[in-house]
Amino acid sequence: MAADTLFKDLFPPLELDYEKEMNRWKHLFQVLNEPEPKIGHTPRTEVWRKNKSILWHYPAKQKKYDIPLFFVYSLFNKPYILDIAPKASVIEGLTNRGYDVYLLDWGTPGYEDKNIGLDTYIEKYLRTAVKRAIRHSETDEITIVGYCLGGTIASIYASIAEEPIKNLIVATVPIDFTEYVGPDKWAEGFRNGDINVDRLIDVYGNVPSTYVEAMFRAVSAPIYFSNYTTLLNRAHDARYVDKWRRMNKWTTDQVPFAGEAFRQLANDLFKENKLVKGKLMIGNKHADLKNIKSNLFVISSTNDNLVLEPQSLPIMDLVSSEDKTYKLVEAGHVSLAITGLFAIVVDEWASIRSNPL
Amino acid sequence: MSTKSPFDPYDSFKKYSEIWEKQINDFIFLLSNNNEFVKMSKVGTDSHSRYVEKIKKNQEALAGVLNIPTKNDLANVTSLTIQTEEKIDSLEEQIWGLQDSVNSQSKEIESVVEVSKEIIKLTKQLKTELVKTKKELADTKTLQSELQEIKFELNKLTILKEDIEILKSHVKNDHQKEPVRTGAGSTI
Repeated sequence: MAADTLFKDLFPPLELDYEKEMNRWKHLFQVLNEPEPKIGHTPRTEVWRKNKSILWHYPAKQKKYDIPLFFVYSLFNKPYILDIAPKASVIEGLTNRGYDVYLLDWGTPGYEDKNIGLDTYIEKYLRTAVKRAIRHSETDEITIVGYCLGGTIASIYASIAEEPIKNLIVATVPIDFTEYVGPDKWAEGFRNGDINVDRLIDVYGNVPSTYVEAMFRAVSAPIYFSNYTTLLNRAHDARYVDKWRRMNKWTTDQVPFAGEAFRQLANDLFKENKLVKGKLMIGNKHADLKNIKSNLFVISSTNDNLVLEPQSLPIMDLVSSEDKTYKLVEAGHVSLAITGLFAIVVDEWASIRSNPL
Repeated sequence: MSTKSPFDPYDSFKKYSEIWEKQINDFIFLLSNNNEFVKMSKVGTDSHSRYVEKIKKNQEALAGVLNIPTKNDLANVTSLTIQTEEKIDSLEEQIWGLQDSVNSQSKEIESVVEVSKEIIKLTKQLKTELVKTKKELADTKTLQSELQEIKFELNKLTILKEDIEILKSHVKNDHQKEPVRTGAGSTI
């Protein structure tokens, strides 16, 4: 009798729910065979276009705030993560809360864009887009929201901006590049010149999207298959499968990185950490973070496996803003956006700083 | 009775896969996080760059012979398009500036027109007042002449009154003299 109990404890009975199994395999075949899900459902209009970049306007459902939000996303990925799915979309969450939202989609750089550097992106794309958004919204001020590397770009822009930026919000933002998630010997080799990206950029023009993906894989998890086993485990749940498919589409949909911009990112920011040292030049302007006087909100995620909290924190001491807030939220680098939590966090802070109507 | 939940092979597979994944990645991390790996990767990227460079040069040379455009030629054409876009953008911004100044001037003109309207209204009111005043003045003049006439008549009446007074006094005097004449008659 005792042996029987021990056997049952060691090998619990295998009870298969046939309906659940049917659903699991049906959904798995759908993932394999059906076309990718359509992403980007929040109504939007094109305000301005230059080269491959587009400025989108997402009107508020019922406008409650005078000052619009202007999103600057990373150059590494596509910005549709901010509008990934109904009810989980950051942009939808904010438009429902009464904000007019603008999003600058950098587009996918081609070989002809190899000479676009960070300075060009900031001075000729971002600045113009902000001007257009201000004019389009018929307001006097604007809130800039930067996510990931978009936050770094937004901060650099805010330090040289002539446009009226009332609020600056940056989330999971790398500012101090002395900290880094990858192997420390790689960083050391990069800083002492053992790894040099210049030649690779010269021959390729841009950093190909496969290389961008490989770079992220290399610093986080070179071997990555647990996403598929998680899918197999939860494939019976149609909602999870839909979310997984959207997330998977975004993760594998990398964009090439414009060569000159990558060179500046690697050499000026990563290697020499010029932004923190206050030595970064954008065109002929000195991009010193102490020039930032706008209200500042910095968000970090507890489970971020790409941008560490110490990489974001230094901005708090480097700016001259009087009104500055730091918030650590329970989320990951991407889950902050895909769960829609970002919209709630932004609204809590921005609602009293966006001139309620 | 056993308290364990039914065995779920997918869940176990997931848990094991996560452990394997972490172990493999930790192993790769240990294997690659050293100077030798970094130097080896430098040799790898350098040789890769050299080969890609050679391929590109040959491609350019071949394209030159075949007289077909290369990616660089297309990039140059695209840069012209981008320059044009930038010029259009800058023109559009200049138009905005002009529009803004025209709008502000229009507003100024509108305010001047508003003031002018007020002035015209005021002038019209003044004109009406003037006409009224003129009419009143004429009436006053008529009244004045009538008053003058009345005054003249009154003067005449005053003179008449004085004449009457004089006559009255004369008559009185005459009455006082008459009894003397009667008495003298009886004494005779």
